[in-house]
Amino acid sequence: MANTKLKKQNYKHMITTKNLTKKYGDFTAVNNLSFNIQSGEILCLLGANGAGKSTTINSLLNFIEPTSGKVEINGLDVVKYPLKTKTFITYIPENLMLYPTLTAVENLDYFTKLSRKTFNKTELKAFLTEAGLQEEAHDKRVKAFSKGMRQKVGIALAIAKDSKVLLLDEPTSGLDPKSSNEFMELLTKMKNKGVAILMATHDLFRAKEVSTHIGIMRSGMLQKYSKTTDLSLKELETIYLDIMNFKHVN
Amino acid sequence: MKNIIFKELKELTRDGRFKIVLGISLILLVIASITGISQYKKNNEQYVASTNTERTIWETQGDKNPHSAAHYGTYAFKPKFALSLFDYGVTKYTGNSIFLEAHNRNEASFSEASDQTSLARFGTLSINFVLMYLFPLIIILIGYNSYTKEKEHRTFTLLKSQGVHPVKLALGKWFATFIPIFILTNLIFLTIGLVLSNLDNLAFFSWSSLLTLFASYSFYYLIITTLTVLISMWSKSSGMALVSSLMLWIVFSFITPKIATNVANTNHPYPSKLEFESRIIEDRKNGLDGHNPWNEAAKKLEEETLREYGVDSLHKLPFNYAGYRMQKGEEHEALVYQKHYAILNDIALNQNNTYKSLSFVSPFVPLRFLSMDLANTSDNLHWKFTQAAEQYRIETQKFLNYDIKDNAKVGERGYKMKADKFKELPKFNFTPPSLSQILKENRSNLLVLLLWFVFPFIGLIITSKKL
Repeated sequence: MANTKLKKQNYKHMITTKNLTKKYGDFTAVNNLSFNIQSGEILCLLGANGAGKSTTINSLLNFIEPTSGKVEINGLDVVKYPLKTKTFITYIPENLMLYPTLTAVENLDYFTKLSRKTFNKTELKAFLTEAGLQEEAHDKRVKAFSKGMRQKVGIALAIAKDSKVLLLDEPTSGLDPKSSNEFMELLTKMKNKGVAILMATHDLFRAKEVSTHIGIMRSGMLQKYSKTTDLSLKELETIYLDIMNFKHVN
Repeated sequence: MKNIIFKELKELTRDGRFKIVLGISLILLVIASITGISQYKKNNEQYVASTNTERTIWETQGDKNPHSAAHYGTYAFKPKFALSLFDYGVTKYTGNSIFLEAHNRNEASFSEASDQTSLARFGTLSINFVLMYLFPLIIILIGYNSYTKEKEHRTFTLLKSQGVHPVKLALGKWFATFIPIFILTNLIFLTIGLVLSNLDNLAFFSWSSLLTLFASYSFYYLIITTLTVLISMWSKSSGMALVSSLMLWIVFSFITPKIATNVANTNHPYPSKLEFESRIIEDRKNGLDGHNPWNEAAKKLEEETLREYGVDSLHKLPFNYAGYRMQKGEEHEALVYQKHYAILNDIALNQNNTYKSLSFVSPFVPLRFLSMDLANTSDNLHWKFTQAAEQYRIETQKFLNYDIKDNAKVGERGYKMKADKFKELPKFNFTPPSLSQILKENRSNLLVLLLWFVFPFIGLIITSKKL
């Protein structure tokens, strides 16, 4: 069993969904969704609200159980190994919230320790710096932090944990253009380090800029899946609007 | 798990509300301790002085007719038990001395409450009041938002995404809620122990009883902690969690005990004092009166005694018959009192059982009983004291009547017992039940407390896995 696990940790596909379906009563949130993301790849899932993007991410985090199909992280079934698979993941939700009475360093220290990794203060500060958080903010309580600053702590966590997988749910929504740019630069850095990234977003421009693959979801189904390099921004926009308009008509 | 505990405690130390409540509680505790120690010292000095004075009076009454001495009487004083400093229990209302005289069993008198103004009805600040009522409030304040704050601040998803085992998370929060109060409780009991062991004329202090009290209170706090964290898990908002926890605290600490008192009084009422005394008078009439040689029972005793010794006149008996009859009269009266006080005690036991049956609604109830018993301030202890005093009264009367019987000549009206003989009567000595006996008598309370812990704790573990 241990050998099997060890082998699976070096699995080529870091994030996998196989015929993932999630139903809430009669409503199908995700319908027969399949994709793979390898190390060093970024898949941006585009789609309107309710398209199934967040449900997919929540399934990968085992926050919800699939109705059918499989979800795997580093080759391990998320439902069977919920705690083990989370050790590979850093999750940054739309509005990453931290403990307001703790400083950035203390927050990072706490979350890394929960992931069974221990660092000294200098190392923690180095991770925060690498994530782009200004040094004077390191020892400040995060209650006064902007969303962009909190997202940087999230990225620092991914760096500190040496996460193989980054799951991002609308991470740039509400960020100012500068912070958004900085965040995209960080993602590119992470990708280049070999991290597999799944990002749910509405932002076509950022998706085109940062991703290696793009998927467009509607009504829980993956309507279009393509390498980013195969599409121009204009083409992407046209396809996206076509898919969205189809939804609108219906 | 220790990381979760440290983080929770760090957050707590930075919470202004916690500091304020803790500060107020500590101030109250200091006031309660100072007044408690001062009251204890005063009462204990009074006890020692009264016991010595009364014994001196008894021993120095000179040559006296024993039955006159029996009517002159003496007092049995209830010791001021060391742990009563911690929990006053019912001592304020039960009285602390009993007048012991011939023919009558008297109630304990000189209760502290009778010496106080009507303000006494508002209660007294004691250490156990702070520990029993206020510390659970602090626990609630620490733990009510242990889970809801994670949901409200939306840190819970980030927390869950770290792969923390949900049971470890729950236990971490559980410990973090319990630890501050546990540390405080440790310090308080240690201080009480050190203060008590340095007081003069300390009555019946044992570290093992104090330790058991500490364990009982700590266990109660574990129950409150578990319920508080469990409510936080179930609640959607911190406001709801706080209100629910406070409601539970009110039900536990105020509503259930009040309801229990009403139910117990209604189901098992005490007879009125007049009714009680009338029944005793009636029963006494139907038996031997040691003072009256002409009543029916006295005549019967006389006939039986003459027959037993094979003589035809009281003058021919080898002892003084008047002393013998007096003793037989005392024995009859003692049996009458025994019967009627046993009825009273049965009512008290039934009331207590009714009260205890509501332990399943509130863990406060079994802790209250346990605490009073361990502090030797319960009505159970008071009953034991009155029984011991009554036994001593019976022995005293026997001692005096037998002196007449064995030493007075027949028909000698002016007989006096030698002054020195008064010293031969043993001193009244009341020893409270041992710790093991108290624990044995409180088995049901201990069991209920255990159940109050086990079921919510199982609920906590199960719920944590579902979050």
